[in-house]
Amino acid sequence: MVESSSRAVVGVFTYMDDALEAVKKVKAANMDYRMYSPVPRHEIEEVTYPEKSPVRRVSLIAAMTGCACGFALAIWCSLDWPLRTSAKNIASVPAFFVPGYEWTILFGGLGTLLSILVFCRLPSVLRAAGYDPRFSNDKFGVVVACSGSQVEDLKRRMLDSGADEVDVRDSL
Amino acid sequence: MEHTHQQHDSKKEAPVTYAEVNDTVLKMLEPPGTGWFLLLFTCLFFLAIGASCWFYQMWSGFGESGKSHPIGWGTYITNFVFWVGIAHSGTLISAVLYLFRAAFRQPIYRLAEAMTVFAVMTAGLFPIIHLGRPWYALWLMPYPNQRALWPNFRSPLLWDVFAVSTYFTISATFFFVGLIPDIAAARDRATTKFRKALYGVTCLGWRGNHIQWKHFQAAYLIFAAFATPLVVSVHSVVSWDFAMSIVPGWHATIFPPYFVAGAIFSGVAMVITLAIPLRKAFGLERLITPVHFDAMSKLILMTSGVVTYSYITEFYTAWFSNNPFERFQFWFRPFGEFWVAFWGMTFCNCIFPQLLWIKSLRTNIPFLFVLSIFINIGMWLERFNIIFQSLTREFIPAAWGGYNFSWVEVGITVGAFGWFGMWMTLFIKFFPSVAITEIKEILPPPMRRAEHGHAAVANAGHHH
Repeated sequence: MVESSSRAVVGVFTYMDDALEAVKKVKAANMDYRMYSPVPRHEIEEVTYPEKSPVRRVSLIAAMTGCACGFALAIWCSLDWPLRTSAKNIASVPAFFVPGYEWTILFGGLGTLLSILVFCRLPSVLRAAGYDPRFSNDKFGVVVACSGSQVEDLKRRMLDSGADEVDVRDSL
Repeated sequence: MEHTHQQHDSKKEAPVTYAEVNDTVLKMLEPPGTGWFLLLFTCLFFLAIGASCWFYQMWSGFGESGKSHPIGWGTYITNFVFWVGIAHSGTLISAVLYLFRAAFRQPIYRLAEAMTVFAVMTAGLFPIIHLGRPWYALWLMPYPNQRALWPNFRSPLLWDVFAVSTYFTISATFFFVGLIPDIAAARDRATTKFRKALYGVTCLGWRGNHIQWKHFQAAYLIFAAFATPLVVSVHSVVSWDFAMSIVPGWHATIFPPYFVAGAIFSGVAMVITLAIPLRKAFGLERLITPVHFDAMSKLILMTSGVVTYSYITEFYTAWFSNNPFERFQFWFRPFGEFWVAFWGMTFCNCIFPQLLWIKSLRTNIPFLFVLSIFINIGMWLERFNIIFQSLTREFIPAAWGGYNFSWVEVGITVGAFGWFGMWMTLFIKFFPSVAITEIKEILPPPMRRAEHGHAAVANAGHHH
């Protein structure tokens, strides 16, 4: 019989430090996991994802693009339909600061939205295996992907860490 | 930290828990009662009045608006500036105070942000109504057209198009992104088919795993950083609609900071006007505490000071400039035909808020409710003074004029409140109008080991 490699062990925790201890054990074993929490906390980030998020790079590039596009639009439109005011330049950059500034923010904001959708994998239509509605209320969850032979060991580790209950599902 | 302690200790009650936050906030989404329907129908009634007046104006002609030379900008532009101003404090509370880690913002920021989005939606209607022929509103946008015409990018009016449309887009995006985890919490409690579908779709399948939270937090901080300059820029650009002209009373370099401070002043007052009945109706006393009203009162006191200083500076500049037209304008405002508007504004914006120096009044809920309404009347009058008074007395006495409100303008003004109220009423019943996640962030997390628990309490409100 071929052993299934797509089981998910779900630990439900009342206490954040218990859940983090379970995560540390899972990480040490180099296993694929997701930690669910009702609230973002630095303590969780430090254990689960200490690296910087790439969102800021996307935002910066989008904002710079917006700035260039804002100025370019104003300058190009003015050159295409010149409205001469005394001896002033048709491409009067100080006046175009506002469109440039606003589009910096507009593009930056929309770029940030796009990056949330991409990096958080939203919208997600698939039901996340192991997700429990209590994770948006007051419980912390640790869901670990494993093979059938690892299930018992993982269940024990979760309970040792302080899990209220441990469940086994089909896949992560 | 101080806030958290005050929140917990002031009433000698058990600390608020994560589950209680969900229970209290999501209880607001339960099927509405008669009161809610009454409120909604009142708003719809006002909206119907406004819509009828607008259609009448389009049918019969713009003359119905009561505007004639020299009053080219009247009630509609006054309303536009008023509603953009209302919108401002929402962004201040949601973005600026987020960057400054002001913990008092958490329970009120969602309401303030909703107010921002709906107020900008209201404000945005007025330039379009003011066009007279709203179907040409598209011409404001720089889009390729058959005559190869482009709008004038040196005009502050076009800057306004960019500023307000960006403001609406970014504040709506910021608002929606902040809502996602809370909608997911509502989804997990939903019992009816309709609610399950509504929240299931609008939360985009959010689960709150560690990867999602990581990017969400990073993005939220960046949104706040993008929205912060908008607080300063939008009303500055609105003020340039006036200040870039040569009309006496408008042509002043103080206008941008003066407008921004006024906008925050009126917006915080509107947050109080909305938060007090909401808190009472939905039993949010443990989430929106006197500490929050005290903090908002201090913000009002501060911005009232800035606004008062700006009024005085306007008078001083007019006198010091030795420009007869400026001097006359600032004599006309307090002693001319519309003196009631000037002194009404002075009382509501400068004198009445000074009572907030008294500590007990800063947490006196009925007093704050009355004060907040007076401030909003005062801020509407401020815009009336700037727009009407300046236009009725420009340079040449032969071109002076008067102004009479038409019932069409009054109807549309009332309709705007109906429009704004309708969105707010619908929002509070269908989406969490108190931020579940953000309130949980200022609470100490549940910890088994006491030493960590203490550490967590010490970090509450400083953990972003």
